Amino acid sequence: MFFNEIYSAYYKTVAQIIKFAIASPVDAVKIRETAKKYAFSESPFAIETAIKEQRWQLILPDGTTPLKSFSEIPVTLLQKRWLKAISLDRRVQLFDCDFKDLEEIEPLFTEDDYFVFDMYHDGDDFKSESYKKNFRIILSAIHNKDPLDITIKNRKGNESTFSVMPERLEYSEKDDKFRLLTSGNRTASVINLGRIESCSLHVGEFPDISSCRTAVRKRTVTMELVDERNAPERVLLHFSHFEKRAEKLDNGRYRLTIRYDKSDETEILIRILSFGPLVRVTEPPAFVNLIRSRLKSQLRNLN
Amino acid sequence: MGYSELIKNFDKIRDYMREFYVYGLKSREQYNKKSKRSYDDEKRRIESYLSEYMGFHQTADGKNVYISVDTRRMSHDPLYKAWKCASFTDGDITLFFIISDILSDPSELFTLSSIVEKIDNEYLCCFEEPKFFDSSTVRKKLKEYELVGIIKSEKHGKTLYYHRAENYNFNNTDLLNFFSEASPCGVIGSFLLDRFEENEDAFTFKHHYIAQTMDSQILYEVFDTIHKKQETEIITVSKSGEKIKQTVIPLRVFISVQSGRQYIMVYRRSKNRITSVRIDHIVKIRPLRTVYDHDELREKLDRMMPYIWGVSTQSRNSRKDTVEFTVCFKDNEQYIYERLLREKRCGTVERIDKNSARFYAEVYDANEMLTWIRSFICRITDISFSDKETEAQFRADLETMYRMYGVDK
Repeated sequence: MFFNEIYSAYYKTVAQIIKFAIASPVDAVKIRETAKKYAFSESPFAIETAIKEQRWQLILPDGTTPLKSFSEIPVTLLQKRWLKAISLDRRVQLFDCDFKDLEEIEPLFTEDDYFVFDMYHDGDDFKSESYKKNFRIILSAIHNKDPLDITIKNRKGNESTFSVMPERLEYSEKDDKFRLLTSGNRTASVINLGRIESCSLHVGEFPDISSCRTAVRKRTVTMELVDERNAPERVLLHFSHFEKRAEKLDNGRYRLTIRYDKSDETEILIRILSFGPLVRVTEPPAFVNLIRSRLKSQLRNLN
Repeated sequence: MGYSELIKNFDKIRDYMREFYVYGLKSREQYNKKSKRSYDDEKRRIESYLSEYMGFHQTADGKNVYISVDTRRMSHDPLYKAWKCASFTDGDITLFFIISDILSDPSELFTLSSIVEKIDNEYLCCFEEPKFFDSSTVRKKLKEYELVGIIKSEKHGKTLYYHRAENYNFNNTDLLNFFSEASPCGVIGSFLLDRFEENEDAFTFKHHYIAQTMDSQILYEVFDTIHKKQETEIITVSKSGEKIKQTVIPLRVFISVQSGRQYIMVYRRSKNRITSVRIDHIVKIRPLRTVYDHDELREKLDRMMPYIWGVSTQSRNSRKDTVEFTVCFKDNEQYIYERLLREKRCGTVERIDKNSARFYAEVYDANEMLTWIRSFICRITDISFSDKETEAQFRADLETMYRMYGVDK
C-alpha cells in the first residue's frame, strides 16, 4: 500500500476543497486555485470537471457539500512504521521529540537493516549535549530569524566569535556533518556545527543583512566520458545531484557539463580524478591545468 | 480511456524518470522499449509534475528531454511529487471522503448496514443522479482502509462494528523535514509533511542523491522481506533489457552516499554465496517463505564486512586481495593524513613520518578501491596490489591520463 491514492495530491486537493465548502460555498475559481496550489499543472481542469460533472459526489452544484465536518485522516500504519524507524535513528536525538504510543508498532527498518558503506568516519558527535544544545538554538533562531553570536574553535585551537544571521542548516550524508549557512558576516558564511564551542542569541542591534548575504559563486566544468567500464552510467549518476547537461557526441563519447559552487572546486577536482582516464576535462582551461598539475606531481612521485 | 495525469502503477514512469533525471541523453525515437504514444504520455505526465525542472536540447537525433536539479538548493526532493499521482476511480474518492465523514469520531461505532444507509440517505441523495454503492463494495473499502490503518473494526457479539482509528498526533515538522530527505523511504516523511498547511523548512542537503527516490517502493518491499526473514524471488533487468529471475535471501541494504547507488546484500542458497543486487535494477519482488537461518546468514555477512570495500564479495583469485599505498604531504597538508583516516572503509593507516602515511588493507576485491585511490593522485609515492592485474590497470590508467593531458615524461 505504498503507491496509494490516499497520499495523492488529488486527495489532498479535494480535502482542502471540502474544508472550504463546509465553511462557505466554493466556486469554480476557488476549486481551480486550490488544485493549482496542491496538485499538478493539469490538475485544475481535471478536478474542476470531475466535481462539475458530479463524477465525484462530494460538492453540490451550488458549491456546498453534504459532508458535515472535516477531520484529518489518521496517520496510516505505513507512516507510523516509518516514524518508528526514525525514532531509532542515531540522529533523532538532535530533535526534541517524543514518539509516544508507538510501542506496538513494528519499525519499517532498523539501523541494522541498512548500512551506508561510504560515509566518512569523522562525522559530527550527535550524542554530545553541547552539540544538541547548539543545534536546537540554531534551529529555533533560523525559524525566528534571530541573529546569533557563535564562538568557534579553528584547527589550531584558537577561538573566534562571530555575529551572524542563521539562514539554513545544511547536512551532508557523505560527511555526516551539519554546516550552518549564514548571512551578515562574510568571514563566517559557512560554519561547521562540530566546531561551535558556544552559541547564543545576539543582544542589541544587528545590521541589515540584505546587503551582507554572500552570493554563491558558481563555476562550470565540462568533461568528456568514454563508453568503457560502464563509465557513462557511473559518472552521470555520480554527478546527478548537480545542475547539469549531458549529451552524446558523434564519436561515441559523452559530454557532461556541471555547475558547482566555487568553494567546492577541490572536491570536484578529486571526484573527477577518481574516474581516471574514463573522464577527460575539456573546459575551462584553468580546471584542465589543475588536473595537469596534479598529474605532473604524480609522475614525479611514482616514476 | 483518455489521458490522465494520474497512473495506476508507478513502474510506468519509473524508467522514464530515471532516464530524464540521470541521463537526459535520448530522443523520443531512441526510447524503443515501449510505443511512441507511451513515451508521449509519460513525458507529458512527468512534465505535469516537474515542469520547472525539465528542459530539452536539440540534437541531430531529435529533442532530448532532461530533468536537472541542483539538489543543494532544494529543501525537498522534487521527485517525491511523482509518488503523489496514484490513480483512483470516481467511486474510490467519493466513498473515501464520505466514509471518512461518517466515521469522523473514533468513539462512534457503526455497522456496515448503517454506513451504507447513511451513504445513500445523508450524502448521495443530495445529488441529481446519485451513485449507488452496494454493501459488498463498501465492505471491501472498509477492509482496505483497515489495512491502511485509518479505521478499525471490532466485534460485539456477532456484529462487526467500524470506527475511525485514533489519530497519531505528530507535529515535529523539523524532524520530518530532515528525515524525509536523510532517511531511507523518505517519501513517507513527505506524505506526513503534506498534512501540514504551513511548513517553514530550515534544512538543505549537500551530496544529496535523489535518483534513489524512484526505487522507494522496491526499497520498502526489500525492508519488509528482511524484517520478515523471507526468501524472495526478485526479477532484475539487465542493461540489455533482459529480465532475470533469482531466488535470494535479502540480508541488508547497502547504501552509497558517494555514487548514488543502493544495493541489497543477498544470500543465494544455490551458490552458497553472499553477493549484491542493485536495487535500481529490480523490477519485481515476490516474498516466498520465512527462512530458519536468516540470523546466521546475517552474522556471516557481519564477519565479511571488514573486508568489503564497496559491495563486492569476490576477487579474481580465491584469496583476499591486499592493497598498500603511501602518500606524501607537506607540513601544512596534514588534512591528507586525516582524509585517509576518515575515508578508509577498512584496513589501517600507518603514519610513517611527518610528511607521509601508508594505507594497507585486505579486501575481497581491490578493483573496487581504484576510484578512491585515484583521488590521491599527485601524492602517491608507492603502490602495490597482490592482484597484479589490478595493479597493471591502475598503472596503465595513469599512463593514459598523462597522455590525455599532455604530461610529458
